[in-house]
Amino acid sequence: MAADEALSRFAEQTGQVLMRLYGWQPNTVSLGSFQGLAAAQGVSQLEGWPLVRRPSGGGAIVHGTDLTYGLAVPSEHPWSQRTEDLYAAVHSALVAELSERGLEARLAASDPTRAEEFFCFSRRSFGDVVVQLPDAGAPARDDKVLGSAQRRLAGVVLQHGSLLLRKHPLMSGAASHPGLAELAGVAESDTDMMVRGWLERLAASLGGDLRECAGPSWKSHDVDVVAKARRYASQDWLSRR
Amino acid sequence: MDRPRRYAKSHEWARLEEDGTVTIGISAYAVEALTDLVFMQLPDVGASVTAGESFGEIESVKAVSDLYAPISGEVVAANAELPGQLETLGSDPYGAGWIIRIKPEDPGQLEGLLDQAAYDALTGSQPH
Repeated sequence: MAADEALSRFAEQTGQVLMRLYGWQPNTVSLGSFQGLAAAQGVSQLEGWPLVRRPSGGGAIVHGTDLTYGLAVPSEHPWSQRTEDLYAAVHSALVAELSERGLEARLAASDPTRAEEFFCFSRRSFGDVVVQLPDAGAPARDDKVLGSAQRRLAGVVLQHGSLLLRKHPLMSGAASHPGLAELAGVAESDTDMMVRGWLERLAASLGGDLRECAGPSWKSHDVDVVAKARRYASQDWLSRR
Repeated sequence: MDRPRRYAKSHEWARLEEDGTVTIGISAYAVEALTDLVFMQLPDVGASVTAGESFGEIESVKAVSDLYAPISGEVVAANAELPGQLETLGSDPYGAGWIIRIKPEDPGQLEGLLDQAAYDALTGSQPH
């Protein structure tokens, strides 16, 4: 969270659109900004799991088999003017990539009946990326593979998102959701090409190129990030709801 | 007749009341941009707010937005009914939809905010 906050401030200062991508070690559950901690503590499958709280909203996410992104867009950029525009840019790029690979991917309609679901991937907000598998013998179902949520600050918008690459092996029932690997019928390593294609489309929609910076997106001696991390690691932050 | 409001570029409004306190809320433009509101966090009475810094949060279906203090002061009242009736922000953003009332450190800070004409010009130039 601290690294995302530092990314956001750097984007605001430089006027650049910046994105960081990361995985999680160990497996961790992140709660949305307004989710109650008690609700997480009541889920038996999550007992003993590390819990963190995001500055953005939405439902709980089980991390470990997903690719998480933080995208920082300065307030002057056209994408940051309306909440839905940035979602559309990021999510439509993935829909286009998956569709070209033969998946029935689309932007979901909002389903208010699922608004109170604990897990993010059980909810359906307008614009979530879902994949529908053709199955003539069963009621149509769609599976959410990408959800995002924003934190709108004065000079920059930070959008968080989780792209589910494969089902988490330690989850079951309502906490278990198929990922790209299961839905596309490919190995997880093959999802790398989907991710690259998604990011290249996103960069192209910005009218620019994808510039990669491998390795940690912040340095361990970055005092600003270290100081911010203390706040996000504190029990006060986790227990604020 | 309504007392005049001043506005921050982050879309909060501030109004100097007869008793010297300043009422703060968010503009109709901001409420409409936020779309479906679901949660709100208000500061405690007695808390200090600092101009340009966050004093609370409001969550819509897909975004959490910080609320920024237009001027500095001490919170003397918070609209406790508002988090349970967020629709009031849309129906009456400048009346019943007020968010906090502060005792200002320096009422002169209001002069640094946008007047109605300047704010209308700002919002008229932004996509909506």
